[in-house]
Amino acid sequence: MEAIDVVKTNYVKELLAKKAREDMRQFMDFRKIGIVTGLMHNAEGSAQVDLGNTRVLCGVKLIVEEPMKDTPNQGNMMVAAELLPLASADYETGPPSPEAIELARVVDRGIRAANSIDLKSLFIEEGKVWSVFIDLYVLNYDGNLFDACTLAAMAALMTTKVPKVEDGEANREDRTQPLKLDSIVTSTTFGKVGGSILLDLDRNEENASDGRITIAIDDANIRAMQKGLRGGFTKDEVEMLLDIAFQKRAELKRALDQAAR
Amino acid sequence: MKQIIVPGEVVSQSQARMDNAYVENGKTYSKVMGLYDEEHKSVIPLEGPWKPRIDDAVIGIVSEEKNKVYEVDLGFFGRTLLIVGKFDRESYKVGDIIEATIKDIEDRKTIILTRARPLEGGTVLAVKPAKVARVIGKANTMVKQISEAAKTYIIVGMNGMIWMRGGNIALATEAIRKIEAEAHISGLTERIRLMLEQNKGS
Amino acid sequence: MGSSENKPELVINGKRTDGRDFDEMRPFSIKANVLKNADGSCYVEWGNNRILAAVYGPKEVMPRHMMEPDRAIIKCRYAMAPFSSLSDHGRTGPNRRAIEISKVIKEVFENVVVLREYPASEIDIFIEVLQGDGGTRAAGITAAAVALANAGIQMRDLPYAISVGRIGEHIAIDFNMIEDNYSDSDMPMAIAPRNGEILLLQMDGGLDRAQVSKALQMAIDAGKVISKAQSDALREVYGNAAGV
Repeated sequence: MEAIDVVKTNYVKELLAKKAREDMRQFMDFRKIGIVTGLMHNAEGSAQVDLGNTRVLCGVKLIVEEPMKDTPNQGNMMVAAELLPLASADYETGPPSPEAIELARVVDRGIRAANSIDLKSLFIEEGKVWSVFIDLYVLNYDGNLFDACTLAAMAALMTTKVPKVEDGEANREDRTQPLKLDSIVTSTTFGKVGGSILLDLDRNEENASDGRITIAIDDANIRAMQKGLRGGFTKDEVEMLLDIAFQKRAELKRALDQAAR
Repeated sequence: MKQIIVPGEVVSQSQARMDNAYVENGKTYSKVMGLYDEEHKSVIPLEGPWKPRIDDAVIGIVSEEKNKVYEVDLGFFGRTLLIVGKFDRESYKVGDIIEATIKDIEDRKTIILTRARPLEGGTVLAVKPAKVARVIGKANTMVKQISEAAKTYIIVGMNGMIWMRGGNIALATEAIRKIEAEAHISGLTERIRLMLEQNKGS
Repeated sequence: MGSSENKPELVINGKRTDGRDFDEMRPFSIKANVLKNADGSCYVEWGNNRILAAVYGPKEVMPRHMMEPDRAIIKCRYAMAPFSSLSDHGRTGPNRRAIEISKVIKEVFENVVVLREYPASEIDIFIEVLQGDGGTRAAGITAAAVALANAGIQMRDLPYAISVGRIGEHIAIDFNMIEDNYSDSDMPMAIAPRNGEILLLQMDGGLDRAQVSKALQMAIDAGKVISKAQSDALREVYGNAAGV
């Protein structure tokens, strides 16, 4: 941690003691959410999400591949995340860091567990299915990549078009069929700073935090959870955060629906 | 009249000696993204890293300690050292905010600080070093105006680090960010005054 | 250059596949100062290319043994996003092609950046191709130059880049992806517009002596329009307003 982060961390804690946040948000407020879809035409789907100053671009590619041996009648999905060196002075060039791998896997789990993508609809013919590659590109880092990435992935998937298959090959000139989605996943990430629990932590708050919990849900069910960092959460806290996750869903879903329209 | 110029742009058809510009084949070209001041024949950078000068007052954060020699983070690419003398009893720990003066610059890459004093509490805001002069304003007018409206204690370091404590820091921050974004547009002092007035109540 | 089998027609009724003339560039737009964290940044849409460039620095040299006591070092990363291509899904991170391109781009900027202004420091240039459609290194250089200026890094000039080459008997500029794959010769170039120095030159395929001359001139002639768009993008950051 840079020396300036020590100052910022202390300041975040000082403010929290007075029940305040640096940008004057309430503890359980999201920052402003902005979503733009369809920016990348070569991709079958794409979306760029701004969550405050955090910016993530998601590209979805559909490739004709062989099915997995144990699921011959359905397609595949893969999520990868890159913490690009241009997103922050703290990020370095090189193979994916454990943080990037955790991020991708948590986003993957939410979408997969909710059966969000109808993988059966991706069957083409005997021995041929669509593989859905979801790539998350972090362009500017200012905290809460988990929620920004899930938003970006969902917005991109909601606007993904499946190419027509001709003679067993993709015809990308003809991309009109929407990808079949069975549910929309939203993710809500909380962090613990001292005794306070906050929603949607920015960079300074993340540096000051010692516990993190991500909750991914669909309309009725919790689909994935991930606790990170050193600090713990009590059962009561988790229960409370689950309730808040459902309360916040409407706001996230509205942003997604508007962007996908 | 000032004109926005980009690197490589001709600022004079003849040889002219000025900072942030170079001469080739009898013509003078800008080396920076900046403003060309026709009247004073000078190139003023609009962006870019801080160029330390002896006697600059700076704000920094202690980042390392070894035998009473402290490394200080000024947001400068080189090293910055604070050597505490025999008669100073002051000792610092990592994360302490200090105000100090530049005593010396070695090989343009090592800054030696002197006359340091610790700043208690508060926070630090980093602004583009090229905008520091505007944040301070003529004879401190700008920073004074913000300080009074927000009731915040503010010290601006020439290196672009600004220390703030007390009052409405969020408002002070907003005002400083606005200056940073609009530093080149005339009528700045008045715009900031209006902005502060409108937000005073909140 | 692609295989001669299944080679598509690149010239239809005297025009190129996308309807352009041989000396006509694709439409493009340049926007500076698009990322908050970076010291300087630029987003370029060039035809169907979408490219983001960012600059950090001058900063501390890592690792320390790379430090030059009297000047800055430049590091450059050019990489293609895994979703950047129409037909494939690429691997993340730079491959051998990207590593070579990163090196030659770095050398372009070592020429124009006033390295001695920033002793013992490092300047990082990141070029991320979010969508590729031929000519990504050229568009990447054009973007990186703007990002450097936007970061306030001292430079003697603002380089631009463009690719030229040959389609059959025609010398042409700014190849799209299909032309990139099937043309007879491709020659990406970067140029310092102030003195006309060529800072990057790569070429493959086949060109005769006269064709090389014509292609070089075409790249130089393109500079006027590209350079203007670069400086317009930089001025636009300040709302084109002058006078304090």
